[in-house]
Amino acid sequence: MDLLCKYAAEDADITFQLKQILEGELKENGLENLFYEIEMPLLRVLSIMERNGVRIDSEALRQSSEILTAELLVIEKEIHDLVGFSFNVSSPAQVGEILFDRLKLDDKAKKTKTGQYSTSEDILEKIRSKHPIIGKILDFRGLKKLLSTYIDALPLLINQRTGKVHTSFNQTVAATGRLSSTNPNLQNIPIRDAQGKEIRKAFIPDDGCVFLSADYSQIELRIMAHLSGDKNMLDAFNSGLDIHTATAAKIYKIPVEEVTSDMRRKAKTANFGIIYGISTFGLSERLTIPRAEAKELIDGYFATYPDVKRYMDECIQRAKENGYVETIFGRKRFLSDINSQNSVVRGFAERNAINAPIQGSAADIIKIAMVNIQKRLFAENLQTKMTMQVHDELNFTVPEVEIEQARKVVVEEMENVLKLKVPLIADCGVGKNWLEAH
Amino acid sequence: MDKKLFLIDAYAIIYRAYYAFIRAPRINSKGLNTSAIYGFVNTLEDVLKREKPTHIAVAFDPSGPTFRHEAYDLYKAQRESTPEDIKLAVPYIKKIIQAYNIPILEVAGYEADDVIGTVSKMAEKEGFTVFMLTPDKDYGQLVSDNIYMYRPKHTGGFEVMGPAEIKAKYDLDSHEQVIDLLGLMGDSADNIPGCPGVGEKTAVKLLKEYGSIDTLLTRTSELKGALKEKVENNKEQIVFSRFLATIKIDVPIEFNEKALEIEPVNDAELKALFDELEFRTMTQNKFGAKPFTSLPPDEATNAIQFARPKSPAGQMSLFDAFDKPEEKIIARQAPKAIQVLEPVAENELLTLKNVSYNYQLVDTKVKRADLISKLFMQKSVCFDTETTGVDVFTAEMVGLSFCFVKGEAYYVTLPNERVEALEVLKEFKAFFQSEHIEKVGQNIKFDLLMLSMYGIELKGKLFDTMIAHYLVQPKSWLVEKEKIRWIFVLSIWICFANMLPKMPILPFS
Repeated sequence: MDLLCKYAAEDADITFQLKQILEGELKENGLENLFYEIEMPLLRVLSIMERNGVRIDSEALRQSSEILTAELLVIEKEIHDLVGFSFNVSSPAQVGEILFDRLKLDDKAKKTKTGQYSTSEDILEKIRSKHPIIGKILDFRGLKKLLSTYIDALPLLINQRTGKVHTSFNQTVAATGRLSSTNPNLQNIPIRDAQGKEIRKAFIPDDGCVFLSADYSQIELRIMAHLSGDKNMLDAFNSGLDIHTATAAKIYKIPVEEVTSDMRRKAKTANFGIIYGISTFGLSERLTIPRAEAKELIDGYFATYPDVKRYMDECIQRAKENGYVETIFGRKRFLSDINSQNSVVRGFAERNAINAPIQGSAADIIKIAMVNIQKRLFAENLQTKMTMQVHDELNFTVPEVEIEQARKVVVEEMENVLKLKVPLIADCGVGKNWLEAH
Repeated sequence: MDKKLFLIDAYAIIYRAYYAFIRAPRINSKGLNTSAIYGFVNTLEDVLKREKPTHIAVAFDPSGPTFRHEAYDLYKAQRESTPEDIKLAVPYIKKIIQAYNIPILEVAGYEADDVIGTVSKMAEKEGFTVFMLTPDKDYGQLVSDNIYMYRPKHTGGFEVMGPAEIKAKYDLDSHEQVIDLLGLMGDSADNIPGCPGVGEKTAVKLLKEYGSIDTLLTRTSELKGALKEKVENNKEQIVFSRFLATIKIDVPIEFNEKALEIEPVNDAELKALFDELEFRTMTQNKFGAKPFTSLPPDEATNAIQFARPKSPAGQMSLFDAFDKPEEKIIARQAPKAIQVLEPVAENELLTLKNVSYNYQLVDTKVKRADLISKLFMQKSVCFDTETTGVDVFTAEMVGLSFCFVKGEAYYVTLPNERVEALEVLKEFKAFFQSEHIEKVGQNIKFDLLMLSMYGIELKGKLFDTMIAHYLVQPKSWLVEKEKIRWIFVLSIWICFANMLPKMPILPFS
């Protein structure tokens, strides 16, 4: 018999047999709802998104590329002028020699396995102040990376047949339950800095359409407020105030109007740090404050939100008893190290025990929103197309005549996935491109 | 030839390797965390290749208490217990060291650093140059003109440290002051408490001034403020810490030069261990041979591509054994699977012979009609598309397989001409679009997209085994089930490995 036949038939046979096993496993683990009602319908939505693809303004990227390449050459020349002769700035070996053998910027410079000087970013950052050339080398590298990973790479991903970029979404990669994507990896695009903006500008809507971008506001903190049921945190959200300002006011026991930007910054770091199980040490590093102050901040935080502390302890307790933690929709994260006798190993598992239900629930929620939005787009016969999902954000290309209807559908479906003890809020913007819409 | 002795501090290297992988531990198909073993072997190989020692030994801490425990209960009390994964890894590491024909030094009542300290000093007298392979600071006290620390660096590679380097690194007057330094500042890696509130800077300053802990403690009246209080209140702990930091160089052992000589590796034994642990890449690097030697390298690479689009969790990682660069592709496709499931050992292939099956080629209209009538009688059907590529926009479908009874499956060939292929697919359209029949597949999104490129909408309930597997998490599976699965995954592999040389165009998926 033809071997291709044998291989292909066997593949189907194995998958069939696996299915019989997995079906039982899903049931035993209470995962049927998550599987049949969320992941399988989502699979269809993702296939639609992948087929839709997203339009890229390759002309704009070509222009950016020209400008940035010219900039790159200028920086390269400046670097050569500083040294007095030309060398290959892209070669770490040559950079190492220049910095450490010629300029002698660090007499304790480390060498790598291959006998070269290490010129990694963190090493250069440490000696940045010693010579203006360092800053220039870092700029050179940053620009070069931006060009090679995005500006010059994105146009290459454009499918010749459709003229669009068709990202692949993967439902089975991230341990938390989040989606991941490749070609391009949307989760990785820099957000805030000027460079990220250049990239976002190049994602554009179809002809006659606008780019619509909607994202959940503070979804992870809202989920923590919901799961912990902490009265003060619920109040803070329900008051409609900025959550970090409200948190700062409570920690420092002052009226909201007296919260300084520094206090807000600290409260914000604490808010997000707590979700990820940050330690006193971690917080002090992050905020560059003394450990004693970090400890005070954390103590103040837990005094303000006592049920958050209780919730965290319960998560760990639950993980210890069951060997796993769960999201609101029953997605499990198994934590076999939770009972380790070793505190470092255990610590990792404990942080995951706190974080997984929060991040995983956020992932469940946006997945449900995607399924429901697509249903409504079909039901209301809209031409709006969902194109990308990035963390807590959904992006669409929307015909101009449908803007208001699409906005309504998207925001309603995102906010009404389920009723939490605090409102789910989705912010929505439109524009000529991703940057403007976001 | 100069005599060059390497002494390896086993647990220090093991811990280091284990934590290096803590965020993404290497776990094989049997659920064993192999991070520590893998890291240890890597370090050992690295040293053997790089330094070509003439003599070598590996020192382990004994399992029972040491003289330090006996001297101070406190020492035992604060010692963090060994991570379970390390406890399970150590017997393997010892077996591997034996396969390398390297002697293991383990002396009841003494820690590895005492043994290494003692042997180093003895070897020095016999004319050896000694390198102590360890990241631990306390070894600094042992160095001399002939004894060096050989420290693995975080950035990769090693750092060779003699008296001058130790002095420079810690800003000390003599390398022996490392003991006093650690006595004051403590060393969390070695469970030495030190003096609370005294860090490296203060400790160095104190040693510059007083030279040693002994002198410091007799002149505490000269200190001021908080520091004075700290030192005076912790005199006992400082002395205790110095005791803990002092490495013994008079452990009762004999120096047997002959036993330390480097010997050829017991290849068969080592290979068997690597196979058991599923160290495919390492096996290849060390022994050169590929696990399936019948495949020339080119086909091997193609084989990886071949499997890429589908990748049942374990199927992917089967190809881990081949070329390193391909691992990237694999990791992108199914990194989760890689973490939990690595290829099984070759000897388990034998079990395949026990699998019985009935697979039918469907290549005529009559056979297709027969199959389709059967398909419509099912509640649930597993299917799979075979294609020429992974990009649904450019790939062509070359065939379809179906299964709805265990061990019985069908493969439908499609004509090369797209127009003709569309005709054949039309016959299946009603089946695919039936709302009542559940469709099962591995990574079914790909098949769904592929069919849509041929104008067929996949309807009905879906069951994607890749996603189901992801949700239930392989770790929760029973070992027995894993075994069954492996048998099948391997049988696929064998089939298409045999097939490849005959296939001019590679089908994908």
